Amino acid sequence: METNNPAMESKYHSKLNGDTALVIGMLALLVGAEGYIVYNILAATWEISSSFFYLYIIFFGLVVLIEGIGCLRVRESIKNHMFEFRYYD
Amino acid sequence: MSEHEAASLVKTLRPFHVWALGVGIVLVGEYMGWNFTVAKGGILGSMLAMLVAGTMYVIIALCASELGSATKLAGGPYDWARLFVGPGAAASVGLAVYMEYIALEAADAIVVAFIAQSIFPELQVFPVTLLVIALLTFINYRGVVAALTLNFVLTMISFIAIIVVFFAIVFGGVNIHPEYLFQGALPNGMIGLFAALQFGPWFYLGIEGAAMCAEECKHPSRAVPLGQQAGMITLLIGAAMTLYLCAVLIPTDALGVSVYPLFEAAQNSGIFIFIAALGLGTFLTCVASANGCVCDSSRSWFALSRDNYVSGWFSEVHPRYNTPYRAVIFTMPVAIGFAFSGFLDQVITFSIVSGLLCYVLIPFSLIRFRNLFPHTTSKVRPFVGPLQPYIAYFAIAIAITILSTLFWGYKYNLIFAFVFYGVAYFYFSHKHKSSTAENNWAEMGWPLPKGSENVSMVQEAIHVGDE
Repeated sequence: METNNPAMESKYHSKLNGDTALVIGMLALLVGAEGYIVYNILAATWEISSSFFYLYIIFFGLVVLIEGIGCLRVRESIKNHMFEFRYYD
Repeated sequence: MSEHEAASLVKTLRPFHVWALGVGIVLVGEYMGWNFTVAKGGILGSMLAMLVAGTMYVIIALCASELGSATKLAGGPYDWARLFVGPGAAASVGLAVYMEYIALEAADAIVVAFIAQSIFPELQVFPVTLLVIALLTFINYRGVVAALTLNFVLTMISFIAIIVVFFAIVFGGVNIHPEYLFQGALPNGMIGLFAALQFGPWFYLGIEGAAMCAEECKHPSRAVPLGQQAGMITLLIGAAMTLYLCAVLIPTDALGVSVYPLFEAAQNSGIFIFIAALGLGTFLTCVASANGCVCDSSRSWFALSRDNYVSGWFSEVHPRYNTPYRAVIFTMPVAIGFAFSGFLDQVITFSIVSGLLCYVLIPFSLIRFRNLFPHTTSKVRPFVGPLQPYIAYFAIAIAITILSTLFWGYKYNLIFAFVFYGVAYFYFSHKHKSSTAENNWAEMGWPLPKGSENVSMVQEAIHVGDE
């Protein structure tokens, strides 16, 4: 849904970009921090964890994948409804 | 629900308030409690518990975002179960949420009192606990915006403290002991990996409560999904950082039994600024958690009261502060009762079991919601979660698996909880047999649920037959 008010549209898209930046920044921090920690712990304990390391990879992948898609859906939902529900007034 | 009562709740909350409510309640679990995973399964068990519980909570948060932004009601999991499952499940989950948060509030208040006493030895635990509970009740009585803005500040300070210490470790600002990771990797063998799962929820316990302020949000269809997902990512980051920095600063056998692991890690670093930051973080996060618990438990009780599951007297909204003030005040005697029952560890375990019951019923409510209202419109489902209902089934499977691990060590708590909620289920199912007919979908601006046309036709046919 669009409006006939360019100033309002500009403001809304700017605010949407703010929400997007927030989500992408947090996702990047999540992947970076969690990836760093999983890698470091598995590397330090490889003699023990090498036989079941795939469990960590699977669940790390699930967390990042589901949360990542979820965040994209949040952005899509905000974009679709921001004018209808006047999110940024 | 009467329109007057619903309209009386003030609608001013923004996404950062939702974040503050969710993270504020939960972050305390990263300052203390999560480390019991290390006692059971070592560092590897703890990391697996963190990832498995994290997967479950990511899904629960997505379910709560979709349900909260759709229903926009204060009862959260209770209202979702009432609308989409039935009165017995609604009462069970409503009571479970109430018990989960009120028990956590009691535990938080006692810890705040103990920390205050360790700083000022002349203080007594009992009066300080009473003071903390009374003060937080008063703040919540005066208004939800002030209560959650306070939570935002307290929680942000506590979270930043973790981030600062973590990055100091990563960039070599602290002397660490990577050998601790190997020495305490898996002390109890493979069974420890499985046993550690029972304490995995500590990293995230209560995040679903963020959606319980939906009725008081200015734009719930934006604030709830955005605030809840931001909160979930915050907790995932905090959990991973907490695990790592504690694991490389505290020997595993000491970490497994530590009362304040993050504070102890800071003490082991020997750097005053980190000791001060994580000491302050421990104190503030307990206050924030207790504050959020007053907010969520009172909303659950308010919602139960509004639908006459408990006395309707509690559903009154304050004419000036727009808060469910009777439900808020009622949290005080119950929390005090829990705090001084002398069974705090049992109370906390009951809180976890209650939470896990919610984690079975929240995804189930979403599955029912999707079945009853398959069409997506901006009125019914403004936020559509991904990969549903498959991930909802997966979350239920993880929740049941974690519940089953509680059988080791907490058998009687588990049995007591099942009996308690089982009795509640059958009692309220019997008492509210006709409540599904009371759901006024039109008042919510929703179409009739799928299949209800056939039901009404059958009812009309029976009615004609009777005549």
